[in-house]
Amino acid sequence: MLKVNDVTLRFGGLTAVNHVSLELKEGTINGLIGPNGAGKTTFFNLISGVYTPNEGEVIFNGIKLNGKKCYEINRIGMSRTYQIINLFKKMSVVENVMVGLHPKLKSGFFSAIARTGSQKKEEEAAREKAYEWLDFVGLRSKALDPAGSLSYGEQRLLEIVRGLASNPKLILLDEPAAGMNSKEKEELDVILRKIQKLGVTILMIEHDMKLMMGITDYIFVLNYGKKLAEGTPVEIQNNPDVIAAYLGED
Amino acid sequence: MNKMKNLMNGKMVPKLLLAVILLLVPLLFQNFNYGLLICGFIAVYVIAISGLDLVFGYCGQISMGHAAFFAIGAYGSAIMHKYLHIPALLTMIIASVAAALIGALLAYPASKLVFHFLSLATVAFGEIVYQLAAQSPGGITGNFTGFYTESINLFGFQINTNTRFYYFALVCVVIFLSAKHRLVHSREGRAFLAIRENAHAADGMGINVRKYKVMAFATSAFYTAIAGGMYVHFVKFISPETVSNKQSVMFLTMLLFGGTSSLAGPVLGAASVLLLNEGLRFAERYQMLIYGVLLLAAILLMPGGIYGVIQKGQQKLRRVK
Repeated sequence: MLKVNDVTLRFGGLTAVNHVSLELKEGTINGLIGPNGAGKTTFFNLISGVYTPNEGEVIFNGIKLNGKKCYEINRIGMSRTYQIINLFKKMSVVENVMVGLHPKLKSGFFSAIARTGSQKKEEEAAREKAYEWLDFVGLRSKALDPAGSLSYGEQRLLEIVRGLASNPKLILLDEPAAGMNSKEKEELDVILRKIQKLGVTILMIEHDMKLMMGITDYIFVLNYGKKLAEGTPVEIQNNPDVIAAYLGED
Repeated sequence: MNKMKNLMNGKMVPKLLLAVILLLVPLLFQNFNYGLLICGFIAVYVIAISGLDLVFGYCGQISMGHAAFFAIGAYGSAIMHKYLHIPALLTMIIASVAAALIGALLAYPASKLVFHFLSLATVAFGEIVYQLAAQSPGGITGNFTGFYTESINLFGFQINTNTRFYYFALVCVVIFLSAKHRLVHSREGRAFLAIRENAHAADGMGINVRKYKVMAFATSAFYTAIAGGMYVHFVKFISPETVSNKQSVMFLTMLLFGGTSSLAGPVLGAASVLLLNEGLRFAERYQMLIYGVLLLAAILLMPGGIYGVIQKGQQKLRRVK
């Protein structure tokens, strides 16, 4: 489904992503790990259209993504969350999800002003759908609160459903468990499996190794912008290169 | 049936009361025609800054040159009416469509600019339009002398008294405020807000940020141009002084003072600043100074404007209950 062929991204003299290749299988949960500054978030930004690679190509369901803008890539079926929470803080929780539904809705400027029958119906259906998504993560009771008033863990969950609302085939999750307590992490584990059941492929960056090793089917390791290793969680845990990168060489 | 129910619930009562009061205003000012004139101006400004609110309050883009669109609406309508003999209401609409297109042309490249560069670009645009009005090719705008025009003729009915204009303007306000209400509570309005709140995330959620910035700017230009058209056929005269950067500053002052991203904010802002203006007629020389102080006070002391203060009060009351 996602195929990254030998991509390189440079910022001036700095090579942030260095000849990285990877391939995701449909319906799997994949992890992307690596020490701080390994280029994980930059790699996400590269796939999702914030940056265009200097070399190599990103292919998603047979479509080349190089040079496509973020909003176009979202419409092709790839959504994401952010390491630093990027919610629409002053908008209500349910409206945040409704913004996530944006690419699925059709009403335009003039039908909004005329408030045509079809526009009204679409709006009502969108609100209904947004509430269903809130049920998915248990946030319905907070639907009308400003997004900025939610707890840290709830904000992470809201970002996830906002990203899911457009029914993507692939979702990139950048540290979904950051700032969550252990109970919230357990809930997140359940939610991630529910997302997988929807048929959505997941690629996630996460520092919580317990969560990561327990839930992922496959893991990629980045170090200094290069791919250091890939494999199943068990393989990664026993890979001497990975251990060296995390613990420092002897 | 539904409406009857609402009426029973008392939801419609405040609205009906407001409507009755607004309709009776001319009776109130029967012996004080000047008051009605002010009400007419308030209506004009309500439309102008409701437009500015779409781009500034909802979409988070600044415009420091909105007087330019007021000018395009006013001059465009008056000139077309005089030279092409098109009925005044129609010229207003044509001029405002033109203003929206010019707004879109300006916003397309400008939508890439960050806040402070955008504000500079709009200042420059305001200045260009002002200069064109003041020193026009062939003197078509009457330059510094100004340009005279006629009042609106609605199928033989002249809107040439303060009372008539008041009712006409009231209808316009209702139309434009309900259109704004519908727009901001739609997919498009959510896109505007999302861009204001976090443009990167909006982009990531499949929103074409540039398209919606252009849409907000063009709609905003249309509103302000309509206000310009209303103004010119009410006063029957326009001169460059009315469309200088002073006017742009006044628009922003009113909006910030009344409160952004709401329907009521622009109404409160236009009314309070205009009434204050009247109260301070004797100090006309210090008008800009007063605006400056007001603007500072609004930004520092009440970031949500008058409407923000009212909202906070309501929230407190609800908590007490």
